[in-house]
Amino acid sequence: MNAQTTRQRPAAGESDPAAAARRAGLALVVPALGVVVAVNVLPAFFGFYSSLRAIFFFGDDGFIGWRNYAELFADPATWAAIRRSMIFTFGSLGLAVPLATLAAMGIRKLGAWGRLLLTVLLVPWAMSPIVVALLWKWILLPSPGGLLASILAHFGIEPINLLSHPDFAMPTVIAVGVWRTFAFAAIILTAGLGQIPADLYRAASVDGLTAIERFRRITFPLLSPSLLIVLSVLTISYFNEVQIIIGLTAGGPIHSTTTLGYQLFEVGFVELNQGKGNAIAIVMFLINLFLIVGYVRLLGGGRK
Amino acid sequence: MTEKKTGLTRRHALAGAAGLGLAAPFVNRTALGQTPSGQIRVWTFMSAAGSSPREKVLKSIIDDFQAKHPGTTVVVESQPFQELETRYVAAIAQRRAPDLIWMRDTFLSLVVDRNALANLDEELTPEFRRDAIPDLFEAFARKSMFAGKRVSLPLWPSPAQIVFYRRDALREIGLTAPPLEWPKFIDAAASLTKGPRFGFGLPTSDNSVSAFLNIMTGFGPGIFDEATGRIDLTGAQALETAEVVRQLVSRKAVSNTLLNAMGDDIQDQFAAGRFAMAQAFAPRFQQFQQIAAGYDGKELAVSAWPSFGGRPPAVLLGPYWTVGLSPQSQNKATAVAFLEALYSRDASLRWARDAGLVPDRRSVLADPFFQRPEAAVSNEFQKLLAGQGAFTFPQRISDITRIFTTLNIALQKLIGTDAPSRTILTEAKATLGW
Repeated sequence: MNAQTTRQRPAAGESDPAAAARRAGLALVVPALGVVVAVNVLPAFFGFYSSLRAIFFFGDDGFIGWRNYAELFADPATWAAIRRSMIFTFGSLGLAVPLATLAAMGIRKLGAWGRLLLTVLLVPWAMSPIVVALLWKWILLPSPGGLLASILAHFGIEPINLLSHPDFAMPTVIAVGVWRTFAFAAIILTAGLGQIPADLYRAASVDGLTAIERFRRITFPLLSPSLLIVLSVLTISYFNEVQIIIGLTAGGPIHSTTTLGYQLFEVGFVELNQGKGNAIAIVMFLINLFLIVGYVRLLGGGRK
Repeated sequence: MTEKKTGLTRRHALAGAAGLGLAAPFVNRTALGQTPSGQIRVWTFMSAAGSSPREKVLKSIIDDFQAKHPGTTVVVESQPFQELETRYVAAIAQRRAPDLIWMRDTFLSLVVDRNALANLDEELTPEFRRDAIPDLFEAFARKSMFAGKRVSLPLWPSPAQIVFYRRDALREIGLTAPPLEWPKFIDAAASLTKGPRFGFGLPTSDNSVSAFLNIMTGFGPGIFDEATGRIDLTGAQALETAEVVRQLVSRKAVSNTLLNAMGDDIQDQFAAGRFAMAQAFAPRFQQFQQIAAGYDGKELAVSAWPSFGGRPPAVLLGPYWTVGLSPQSQNKATAVAFLEALYSRDASLRWARDAGLVPDRRSVLADPFFQRPEAAVSNEFQKLLAGQGAFTFPQRISDITRIFTTLNIALQKLIGTDAPSRTILTEAKATLGW
């Protein structure tokens, strides 16, 4: 007989503590749920509804079915933008996650100094992305006044126009995006590392495991819940990133940093084609969903 | 008896009210005694607390208006300049629009199509219609007329995107001003490139400015199709424009790496001394004299764009600012009174005297101020405005929200790739669906 079957029903007039707890929980959740529905769910449905209509400059010319989507997928620029979004997202993840993991391990080893270092590293994350973009634009300015140009000039090197070169613009935008966000990943992973029992490492040392083996057999598997959070949050953040791109390159040069997020900004807010802009937003939502489900299956599915 | 008297009074009252209702549109607000009072909201890109010359003049006009009409308050709600029209139309849809709106002339037709501007001919006082309207610059004022209705008043008639140049830099090559024909201009711009300084700075990434279009204006107003407002992107004139761009790059007059510089970037770098000449927004001239860091601000001067084939030097009048009234305004009397105050002769003189702009009222040019050296800037603009090569954008331009971006991508390709010009322009044409 289990605990549930032995629990007695409360007598008439006596309150059920479990039901009271459920009611209290519900009372706490409902306001937040209401906000989510009002701010996210309803606008998302309205966005989908709008994506099926011809809306330009707030003038609704009526229902057009899937035409916005058909035009979108028939345009090679959309596929190029999706490809660049993937390059930006996975390029940033490929740089940010290892950096954040190393930083987290270093911070754990440094103790109080590590926490101080983490606080300093968190400053870019607390800054507005557009401010970060403008800051880096000035740093990278390839003319008198640009910080990088001045440093290079000190060594007799000509200034490099990183943001205006079709080959360098995307790596530069990725680097700035990572600079802004990797400390956030580091803080989550630092907390994740703190959950791993130190005994496991001591036992591994006794067994003669190398540092790489300890990372592969202990750190990585036990850190995977934190990694799942980091990957999910950063993927959404990078895939939807637009402010840094607007501020640094405006999607250029020659479309080399025009991601799907930037295309949404361009079509919806500059061209004012709000129907098509909403179609891009829906496509972005579906890609985000697909990626997150993939992470959950990859990193979360094996957990018992 | 009493009942009969009451009935008659009611009928009289109803008839009187109906008569007043019918007559109201034909009686000006002074006659009705609607003196300005209460609060109005104004959307503009400027701040009433700002420190630029234009912002200081706006503040002084507001202060004077409020002093002249006690009980009125003009609230300036500053908006990002590229979003003014969009936000305004959205605000109209949500019935929370400001009373007065500053917008670009190139968006007028879109805003008019959304019924978002009042017919000013029904709102302006007879005195203003009689004295001020004919005193405005005709080319600008005409653009505000849609189906016989005046929907806005043009502010600061200006050559808009123009060539700023440094006299000191031109003296180095024995010139006093940039040549006004493209072949000679390219030679001069190439000679002006020296060390880290480039001869000519062009914005290559902007949503409301196109250097390609400005170069093409050297062919005159005929570049715009009268019916559609489109330009022939694969025609001989567009190809010759592309050739000018390529020559400027190959002669190192224009940087081949500045592929995503916005108008503001170019102007800021010009102020820092990176260019000897640059495409810039004319109404900011005085501001750029003040912030010049790479040279003496007194050396700054303006020029028309060079032309093709002996045509007059080109001056594209726009995009410029124009001010409209919301049809939803709950305080039209005050809004219209303030609108008229913006265009008074005194205000026009102030815009010119304190912010170096061309006065909105032509009669103001007779003021002794314009004989003085301080008026040199304003007079220079006035000369450009009166030139034979001056013309406005068509009233309706196809794909106005896409044309600048598309032409800038084409410009980036012309500067940064070796692809044939015709291919690049054909792609631009296809992007616009023209």
